[in-house]
Amino acid sequence: MRSKGRMLGALVAALAVAGVAVSAAAGAHRADPGITKTSITIGGTFPLTGPASLYKTIPAAEAAYFAYVNAHGGVNGRKINFKILDDGYDPSKTVPLAQQLVEQDHVFAVMGSLGTAPGLATWGYLNSHKVPQVLLATGDSYWGFCVRKACAGATKPWTSGWQPDYPGEGKIYGRYILANMPNAKIGVLYQNDAYGKNYFAGLRAGLGKQAKNMVVDAESYDVTNPSLTQQILALKSKGADTFAIFATPSPTITALVTATKVGWNPTTFVNNVSANRLFLLAAAANGANVDGVISSVYTASQTTQKSLPGIKLANSIIATYGSALQANYAQGDGNVVYGLGVGWTFVWALQHAGKNPTRASLMKALHSMKNVKNPFVYPGILMNTSAKDNFPIEQEILVKWSGGKAGDWHPFGKLYSGVR
Amino acid sequence: MRPRLPALGTIAAAAVVLALLPFQLSGYHQALAAQVGIYFVAILGLNILTGYSGQISIGHGAFMAIGGYTTAIMSRDHHTNLILTMLMAFGVCFVFGLLVGLPALRLSGVYLALATFALAVSVPQLPLKFSKFLGGSNGIQSHTVVSHQRLYATAWAAAALLFVLAWLILRGRTGRAFRAIRDSEVAASSSGVTLPVYKTLAFGISAAFAGVAGSLYVMATNGFAQPNEFGVILSLQILVGAAVAGLGSLWGVLVGALFIGLLPTVSKDVPLVGSAHGQDVVFGLIVVLVMLLLPTGFAGFLARGARARIRPQPGRAS
Amino acid sequence: METVETPQPTLAARGRALRGVLRPVSVVLVGAAVFLAVGSLQSEIFAQQTVAGLAQGAVYGSLALALVLIYRATEVINFAQGELAMATTYVAYQLIAWGLSYWEAFFATLAIAFVLGVAIQLLVIRPVQHKSVIAVVIVTVGLFILIDGLVTWKWGADIKFMPAPFGQTVYHLGGVAIARQDIGTLLVSILSVILLWLLFQFTKVGLGMRAAALRPAAAALVGVRVDRMLAVGWGLAAVLGAVAGLMTEPSQYVLQPTLMQPILLYAFAAAVLGGLESPAGAVVGGLVLGVFLNLVGQYVHAITSELRLPFAFAVLLVVLLIKPAGLFGRRTVRKV
Repeated sequence: MRSKGRMLGALVAALAVAGVAVSAAAGAHRADPGITKTSITIGGTFPLTGPASLYKTIPAAEAAYFAYVNAHGGVNGRKINFKILDDGYDPSKTVPLAQQLVEQDHVFAVMGSLGTAPGLATWGYLNSHKVPQVLLATGDSYWGFCVRKACAGATKPWTSGWQPDYPGEGKIYGRYILANMPNAKIGVLYQNDAYGKNYFAGLRAGLGKQAKNMVVDAESYDVTNPSLTQQILALKSKGADTFAIFATPSPTITALVTATKVGWNPTTFVNNVSANRLFLLAAAANGANVDGVISSVYTASQTTQKSLPGIKLANSIIATYGSALQANYAQGDGNVVYGLGVGWTFVWALQHAGKNPTRASLMKALHSMKNVKNPFVYPGILMNTSAKDNFPIEQEILVKWSGGKAGDWHPFGKLYSGVR
Repeated sequence: MRPRLPALGTIAAAAVVLALLPFQLSGYHQALAAQVGIYFVAILGLNILTGYSGQISIGHGAFMAIGGYTTAIMSRDHHTNLILTMLMAFGVCFVFGLLVGLPALRLSGVYLALATFALAVSVPQLPLKFSKFLGGSNGIQSHTVVSHQRLYATAWAAAALLFVLAWLILRGRTGRAFRAIRDSEVAASSSGVTLPVYKTLAFGISAAFAGVAGSLYVMATNGFAQPNEFGVILSLQILVGAAVAGLGSLWGVLVGALFIGLLPTVSKDVPLVGSAHGQDVVFGLIVVLVMLLLPTGFAGFLARGARARIRPQPGRAS
Repeated sequence: METVETPQPTLAARGRALRGVLRPVSVVLVGAAVFLAVGSLQSEIFAQQTVAGLAQGAVYGSLALALVLIYRATEVINFAQGELAMATTYVAYQLIAWGLSYWEAFFATLAIAFVLGVAIQLLVIRPVQHKSVIAVVIVTVGLFILIDGLVTWKWGADIKFMPAPFGQTVYHLGGVAIARQDIGTLLVSILSVILLWLLFQFTKVGLGMRAAALRPAAAALVGVRVDRMLAVGWGLAAVLGAVAGLMTEPSQYVLQPTLMQPILLYAFAAAVLGGLESPAGAVVGGLVLGVFLNLVGQYVHAITSELRLPFAFAVLLVVLLIKPAGLFGRRTVRKV
């Protein structure tokens, strides 16, 4: 036993010496990771499994858009290589995956990663390594504020978002209600995490001084409890005639159905994330009274805006490069158009980052958008960023559902801006 | 079985390998090796509780959460040195473990398992409730950036120290008391072992180990603590690791840690149609297969091999 | 020296013992029923919350029933019970997609679930069941992960829709809305308990299962195929799980792989509350838990939504500490 140990020790020592020699010889550093004359490598972390996996159509749509671009020569002759990694919405998995993207895959940028907590878990690391963390798929406000301002100890100039933020959207609903339904008695159902709380805070901001009077009750729910009957009964009993649902898709469907079931017929607002046509159809199929429900959108609709050039392009891209998405897309899945819009924005930024983009020039392009028209975004809404304001999309249009079980969203009114 | 310390030569070899390994590995792989070290600590802790004192716990993720949040909060609010926060996590979780161990005295077997499971499910809810102090669903950011090498060194240094600590505890009177309790509480009690003291102590020690593992876990995520990191799945993974490890062998704990630490990464690369979900299928399948083949864990496997080689010696107490 | 249960040889003695257990419990339950009735008459919202609580509780109870059956037969907590229930619900979904009517798919799924449960017991549980309790628990954990992965792989994680077995009609009784679906779920749960009781009391298979669970060695001596009984037990539990899944899906309006995960947690609490060895206890425990949680959520403002699940488990802990056998369980006395 002892001689075995000595032998083992000697073997290990030999290996170690060899190892040191090898690692000393290795490692010339590329100046611009992830970009060559013919390709650009990017990656993102998404919840392909786990509780948030219904959003996985987003990276699939982005991949379809890049496939389309690559088939037409790429960006300045460079094909986009997009790595989609699964973090299951768990930040402790997101961190090693981000490290893998940066240190193993040597990506040019981390693009489109989904989730606030995963984003917050990795933004320190990515910013300190000067890796772009762009077009994050979450509506948190952090991504818009922290370019010049220090957040959690340091500025985050390499991080940017894309969609309007949740507080801004909540503010839009508040403003609308204040202007058009001044005597409303609002009952709020919100998810008990930052997602729900941010919307609720935005709603109160939009209602201004009237918030205290108009919000008669607010009930939170936890994702571990799929039944919302207790909360909705409470809201109904407080006499609310307006119902604001700040929830993710499944609870939104449950809330809509339950409200009808208990005989409550308020004017209902649902947030954009859960306003996918598929979800409203599901609620209607289960007996919910969905006519008159109000939400907001910022992407174009493939079911009600068929003649838009952007939608025609989307149709052909999904048919050719994203056939797995075809079924959902045809039914009105808004996440597909969202993904196409994000992909378009990234390609636009690359095209405006010079003939030989660098990470810094990419960020500069993203931070200096002036009235950029994205074909997948609702017509009239333009993307704008500047030194002070890093939210590319801030405007939304209100939509109302009509047509019951086979209906759809129809826009009304003017464009609102959720500007702080 | 008394914890058998491997021969000195093997320990020295292992120490050399551990010390030189980071130079062989890329930074990313160092982080992976550090993860194995973190699981090593957690599984070691659970083994003390379940393997040596016979009390089942499916709640060690909760203790990891407490340790991890301790590190995150102290780092965020007081910029405390990370090693110091690890010691604090050890202490805080030791106390929590004692507190949990007290009501656990009245429970055993499946009831204890369910009670600890309740803990695993409930503790991650607390940051949502006390979101101002505990960060809510956006988590606590303490902007500590721990380099891969430092993480590796800290994790394995902690693992080595805690292993020595465990060995010292288990070879002494406390360890004998634990083993007596595991084998028969009635016999232990009638031999003079104060059951409440030792059973609670086992919980405390085990929780303290898990707390250190949790602290390291948060360091590995750049000082970010969030409820989703400490879900039920984590508790189940530690339990699987402890079962794969088996009882009474250092190498068993290492194998268990390697299993839990590396299998997700390995199963990610297994080519399977629609491979995003292949990972779970592969992982689950391998867990089931390993249990079918090695129901007493790796240590049991080693013991069987050893028994096959060693001549039976009369009067040898195990 | 083995631990021996208090022997209860004669039927009369067992009847007396059972009545002894039931008397205080029935008092408590009747008292609770009276309280609920009075409250419901006084306040509409109280009535609504009670009805909603019963509906939810029936769902918890139906999964708890499956857990209790496995535990009774094998003394194992099956962590994979919820995922198995979810998987069989997807089987029903697929059958309906292939053209079967809802009820045809329902009963076909029950048959498939039975086969699946037996197969799992034979392939995966039997090799380890005599070796180590921990090993069996770990195997069920592995199954949990494996089944979840398989379902998501085959059907995807996006939401799917199934027809509602009892329709969408809602009755209004004095201002309280009672959905036909909820009544259906409650009746199905009660029916399951009754059928199970009939099986255990009056059939040879049932008797064999009880014998195999209580005294495996003695049962084997009188010719009961103990291993076969265990397999049947798992098959039956899978059937009950399938029923639970099929009753849960309409309550969530959509089908997705996370269907049973929250239910499993509450089902554990319900099973402990009712007594881990009592099928009737499982359903009653579920109903009690559902109503209790709803009323607490409505009237006790300190217990906010984040604390609902921990609170349910606090209930579980209190039960474990005060009366571990639960509402309907028998206390086992260990004699040395």
